[in-house]
Amino acid sequence: MRICSFLVVTVWLAAGLSHAQSGLSHRAANRVLEQATWGPTQTPSQILESQGFDAWFSSQITAPISTYPDQPQYNSQGKSNTNLAPIQVLFFQNALNGPDQLRQRVAFALSEIWVISELEVNNASAFPPLLRIFENDAFGNYEQLMKDVTLNAGMGNFLNMVNNDKANVAKGTSPNENYGREIMQLFTLGLAQLNTDGTPVLDGSGNTVPTYTQNDVGAISAAFTGWTYAPMPGFVTTGHNRAYFIPPMVPVETNHDMTAKTILGVKLPGGQTAEEDLASTLHIIFMQPSLPPFICQQLIEHLVTSNPSPAYVSRVATVFENNGSGVRGDLKAVIYAILTDPEARAGDTADTGDATFGHMREPVLLIANLLRGLNGTVSSTSLVANAATNLGQQLFYPPSVFSYFSPAYRTSVGLVGPEFQIYSTQTSANRADTVNSVVYGGQLDAGTKFDISSFTAAATNNTTLINLINSVFFHSDMSSNVQTAITQALAPLTAASDKAKAALYVALTSGEYQIIH
Amino acid sequence: MLSRRGFVKVSAASVASLALRPFGLLPALAQSGSSDYRALVCVFLFGGNDSNNMVVPVDDTNFRAYSSIRGSLALTAAELTPTVYAATGNAPYAFHGDLAELASMFSNKELAVVANVGSLLQPTTRAQYQAQQSLPLNLFSHSDQQLQWQTSVASGHSATGWAGRAADLIASQNSSNFPTFLSVAGNSLMGTGVSTQPVALNPGQSLDLKGFNGSAASNARLNALENLLTLETGLKLVQASNAVLSDSIADAKALDAALSKATPLKTTFPKTGLGAQLQQVAQIIQVRDGLGMSRQIFFASLGGFDTHTVELETHRQLYPQLSQALAAFSNALVELGVENNVTTFTESDFSRTFQPTTGDGSDHAWGSHHLVMGGAVKGGDIYGQFPTFVLGGPNDTDTRGRWIPTIAIDQYGATLCKWFGIPVSSLSSVFPNFTNFGAQTLSFLG
Repeated sequence: MRICSFLVVTVWLAAGLSHAQSGLSHRAANRVLEQATWGPTQTPSQILESQGFDAWFSSQITAPISTYPDQPQYNSQGKSNTNLAPIQVLFFQNALNGPDQLRQRVAFALSEIWVISELEVNNASAFPPLLRIFENDAFGNYEQLMKDVTLNAGMGNFLNMVNNDKANVAKGTSPNENYGREIMQLFTLGLAQLNTDGTPVLDGSGNTVPTYTQNDVGAISAAFTGWTYAPMPGFVTTGHNRAYFIPPMVPVETNHDMTAKTILGVKLPGGQTAEEDLASTLHIIFMQPSLPPFICQQLIEHLVTSNPSPAYVSRVATVFENNGSGVRGDLKAVIYAILTDPEARAGDTADTGDATFGHMREPVLLIANLLRGLNGTVSSTSLVANAATNLGQQLFYPPSVFSYFSPAYRTSVGLVGPEFQIYSTQTSANRADTVNSVVYGGQLDAGTKFDISSFTAAATNNTTLINLINSVFFHSDMSSNVQTAITQALAPLTAASDKAKAALYVALTSGEYQIIH
Repeated sequence: MLSRRGFVKVSAASVASLALRPFGLLPALAQSGSSDYRALVCVFLFGGNDSNNMVVPVDDTNFRAYSSIRGSLALTAAELTPTVYAATGNAPYAFHGDLAELASMFSNKELAVVANVGSLLQPTTRAQYQAQQSLPLNLFSHSDQQLQWQTSVASGHSATGWAGRAADLIASQNSSNFPTFLSVAGNSLMGTGVSTQPVALNPGQSLDLKGFNGSAASNARLNALENLLTLETGLKLVQASNAVLSDSIADAKALDAALSKATPLKTTFPKTGLGAQLQQVAQIIQVRDGLGMSRQIFFASLGGFDTHTVELETHRQLYPQLSQALAAFSNALVELGVENNVTTFTESDFSRTFQPTTGDGSDHAWGSHHLVMGGAVKGGDIYGQFPTFVLGGPNDTDTRGRWIPTIAIDQYGATLCKWFGIPVSSLSSVFPNFTNFGAQTLSFLG
């Protein structure tokens, strides 16, 4: 934590906070919780408000991990087990109750970068091992994450690296290029070379410069040949093992392309094993200068803001390049840098006037936030994931490896707004209807309940009610516009429960609530 | 109101002061008759459809080359439909066997094939490709090529799609301000114009906000919600969010009013995602007069075409869905009496390598064959040229059969838009590189 102590002093001073280790205001604490957890609850965070960010961050690093148990590969009929509902339910239960909130948020962000989809995998047992990788590596090293996910059997299945054999000249076939391409385009480098601050490198004519060529895609695909599923217990590796999603994939050297390769300008000698080619290739990718800004920008987008300044990206990417102890890819230091950056913390004390700040609550985050803020409960038979599906985000079923939405998606106001890709005329209406179900129906389904009694108790007085909503859902920074609108909706009402519902409805359907800021 | 409709380019600061249209549909002018109705319907095949197996030339020379090079991916005669003959030149072709409905529409001259279409900046040869001269940005990338199909901007990123730009030019022909572009497959850049913002409607759902019953309390709450949407706020993303919900509320009222007069279609649609989408489109077309629409563009999609492995199995699942949904849609248009007023066409990221992968699939490629369906289409014919089936041959980028397109998206789209009613003089403002291809539309539509 030496590096963290150093950073905290400089960064928090820069943010105008003179007592770095002292407690945060409620406003500042709940902003942290909105950015870095599944959302505030009605109980203020004692550790943030009494001991400050550093103590909270340390507690999050060491908090017990809310894990995912393995699921059976076959159902009771002996068919592929495609029932992901237990894992979806557990996801929301973990979000609602887990002590490792920051780890879960980072893991979820990583899962939206390193994407697999049940639409193609069609087996629930593929997900727990991969979800555990994201959780275990969330504060680890990015190169380790690259290795772990690359060899994960679910990813191997989804992007067809499993059983991808070297070229067969007699048959006139080539190894498929799926994983070789997408690991670069989506998981590490992007298409255009980036400066440390995330802006594109431009050539003499002002054009972007590709990070890789089609030849690189072919070479990497060859380097990644020769992997199959681990043998199921009681079986031996035969070449193409049958699907088995729990252990990492295993090499089959006879199916591996052992020719010499040139990858991103670096020569790999002939004769390397599948494991050697894989480790060499991942290291070459890991060392590319575009990787830190490409990944850091996306992590910032997931946690803090869709339109970070180049300086913000640069500060975080610099920590990715070197955590202060000479280590590249230290995600713990990167997450710390993202959350303590002056740009992230600038709204802790007062509105900054930065009109471009913030990002939209994606559906999963919205529902988790409602559960936490409204004393929700999620039973084992909950259908909570259906609510996110209805808002355009079917958990664990993204439409493709390009995830639920693109990090580059632009809104009608010209700003980047990734989550807006799934925010349409339809899903915006569905979002208001979700709030209606939660607030007026008290549930999303029989297994997903909400309790607004504390808001009803506060509703004897309009100001008290508004203040409570403000405290829990608006980090005590609700605009006068929203307060006025709530007051307008309360005017015809007399019963406290009616007032609580109307006030929550207006607040939680407001644009100001949809955008975490 | 902070709606996106009509003032997308207006700066945020000036938004609040504009005279904005109120929630709800403006009074429709005198309804236009359906005789003047025209609609384009895009069916986007996400993932990159391997059209090499969608339509196959079955003359001896081509079929021998196809069978030999495609190896494990090659369909046998038994796996293809009966032979159909192109109206021009009488060359024999066959469709994938699971596209039987499409083959029969081809024979009935209700469907045409446009060969080897793709993103291009200018006519491009193999030598130019290998010298990397004037190529579209990020070839073989799903996301880029999807967007280039939707924007017809091959050189980079575009804030608008070609259908959105076409809608900008033609929206004034509609008698209401209901959006000209409607997606039944979520947000799509294709329908975003300078002034056009798409409406997205999930099949079978409504845009209606639930929980309002007309009581004084309910009205006060709805007013509070709507008022809040109109207020200036410091954060632009809040405005962007408000704009979407504002549009939704306005469009809901228009849709509700129109759809309340809809009658159930007699045509049975397959119970698939694409079937439901096209059924919803047909239902909207049915109430076009109530919506005040004489020009509409629709967007539907079918995903799952990224067949790097086990392609034949995947096509056996996807192609029947495509074929049966298109056939049902065609029948519904006949039922509605608008079969000559609606033209349906496919798009897709790219086609795939002619050479197979070791896992019996194919990789990302470029030029792709596409389908155009409708009574206005000069069907039963193949437009453009199939590539020469030689790896490393004149149409190949490299040695894997990534066909260099011989028809540009600009030409394909311009042909559709010309029929739709975009003046010929405006086609190059919708398709910026159209002039690089001699500003020549194709002849599959009049």
